[in-house]
Amino acid sequence: MQSTLAINLARIAIIVAILALWEVLSRTGIVNPRLLPSASDTFVTLGDLLQRAAVQKDLMVTATEVLTAFALAVPFGAVIGFLIAENCYFADVAKPLLFFAFSIPKSIFLPMFILVFGVGFAQKVGFGFFSTIFIVIMSTTTAVESVKVEHLTVARSYGATPWQTAFRVYLPSMLPVLLEALRISMIFNLTGVILAEMYASRDGIGHQIAIWGENFQMKQLLAGVVMVAAIAMTFNELVRWVETRCSHWRT
Amino acid sequence: MQPLANVTPLKPAARAGAIEVKNVGQVFKTRSQDVVALEDVSLEVKPGRFVVLVGPSGCGKSTLLMMMAGLRQQTAGTVTISGAPILQPDPDRVGVVFQEPSLFPWLTAEDNVEFPLALRGVPKAERRAKAQDALKLVGLEGFGRRHPHELSGGMKQRVSIARGLVQDPPVLLMDEPFAALDEQTRMTMGDELLRIWAATGKTVVFVTHSLTEAVYLADEVIVMSARPGRIVDHLQVQLPRPRTYEMLSGDTFGSLRDRIWRHIRKSA
Repeated sequence: MQSTLAINLARIAIIVAILALWEVLSRTGIVNPRLLPSASDTFVTLGDLLQRAAVQKDLMVTATEVLTAFALAVPFGAVIGFLIAENCYFADVAKPLLFFAFSIPKSIFLPMFILVFGVGFAQKVGFGFFSTIFIVIMSTTTAVESVKVEHLTVARSYGATPWQTAFRVYLPSMLPVLLEALRISMIFNLTGVILAEMYASRDGIGHQIAIWGENFQMKQLLAGVVMVAAIAMTFNELVRWVETRCSHWRT
Repeated sequence: MQPLANVTPLKPAARAGAIEVKNVGQVFKTRSQDVVALEDVSLEVKPGRFVVLVGPSGCGKSTLLMMMAGLRQQTAGTVTISGAPILQPDPDRVGVVFQEPSLFPWLTAEDNVEFPLALRGVPKAERRAKAQDALKLVGLEGFGRRHPHELSGGMKQRVSIARGLVQDPPVLLMDEPFAALDEQTRMTMGDELLRIWAATGKTVVFVTHSLTEAVYLADEVIVMSARPGRIVDHLQVQLPRPRTYEMLSGDTFGSLRDRIWRHIRKSA
């Protein structure tokens, strides 16, 4: 087995190689630099954009929408998922329907969200919520099902109260799956909100990226892509870090 | 539910650890028919005895054990432990050891052992001290900080036994605790269990599929038949203690095992 250091070095090398290739392709004109501005130019533009008040405002708008949609969808979906998992009748009725709903691409409903909510905060949060809730429901169901009957029996045989069972058996059993669900939900949530912004919006970073694209401002466009990608990856890694700390016992 | 509030207080310590099962029946109602899992089962276990329940699959031996643990209610008859009926789990009177996957994988060995005490709000220091004693008793001193996935199958079951003993109940119920272990570990664990039993003087009721294990461990073997579950024989194992590996090939051992096997073959 390779050491962690060697593996990390290899990863860094790949990233550096991609950036170098990007730089070379653009600098040498193999790819038209107007279509693909060089990496260095893009990062300079990124630094520039981040200092602009307008861009900062757009980022704040998007962050607020994303967090609102997330804060609504996660508890709401978790409660529904829990009820489905704990109630046989409800599960039998609802599960196939959920799978149907989950299989539909959510983006086709976007025009309806605009008609119902108008263009603005509610439409984007609503669509973010809608994009996220199904995966939260399904993951929570999986999480509840990951609780072992044997463990519940042990708790019962030692006289655990319902609260003790919830906090000492359900929660720790479900935590690894729940954290993973949280991470994947955020990917869906972010996609939903940005998509809503790009489709019809007056502000937000998704809207700005769409504008840069339409105006053929490739440097800004690429910088915007890097910006959103970095935010998404940071959140993802953060939850993954918590995940590994909480799930060390999983084999 | 008020636990045992309206029940006569436990009789003096002489009864502690005694188990009495009287005319117990269990009927499962399904849509098409009623399935009789247990029919008129009566037995008595004196304090400090090691009793093994054997029988073919579906004979209700685990069901009977779960009734003694208060985890399942019979449809007829009574189960009495230490002189009072068992209506719900009562960790003061009964400790339970389950099959292998019953330890909480997110807790360390010592936290698993402390779990029953934590549920009752025993202070941390006292909990730790009791868990250390229990782990020492089962031969796992120094392994308290490991998680279950860092322990072997035999060690995990030792932790389970420590968890069952940590509140010092007079009765220990064991539901096929060594079923998932390999043969060698199983033999070692049998000897270990007998050592622990001798050291603590608990009443043990032990469910197993293995006839050899049954005769090797028991003072008494109770043989059950399937559909409906009934007691068909109650043997006294007169082999001296401590039990040794050599006894396995002796005549007494062989004839006892044959007698049990004939019952099981008949009912299966």
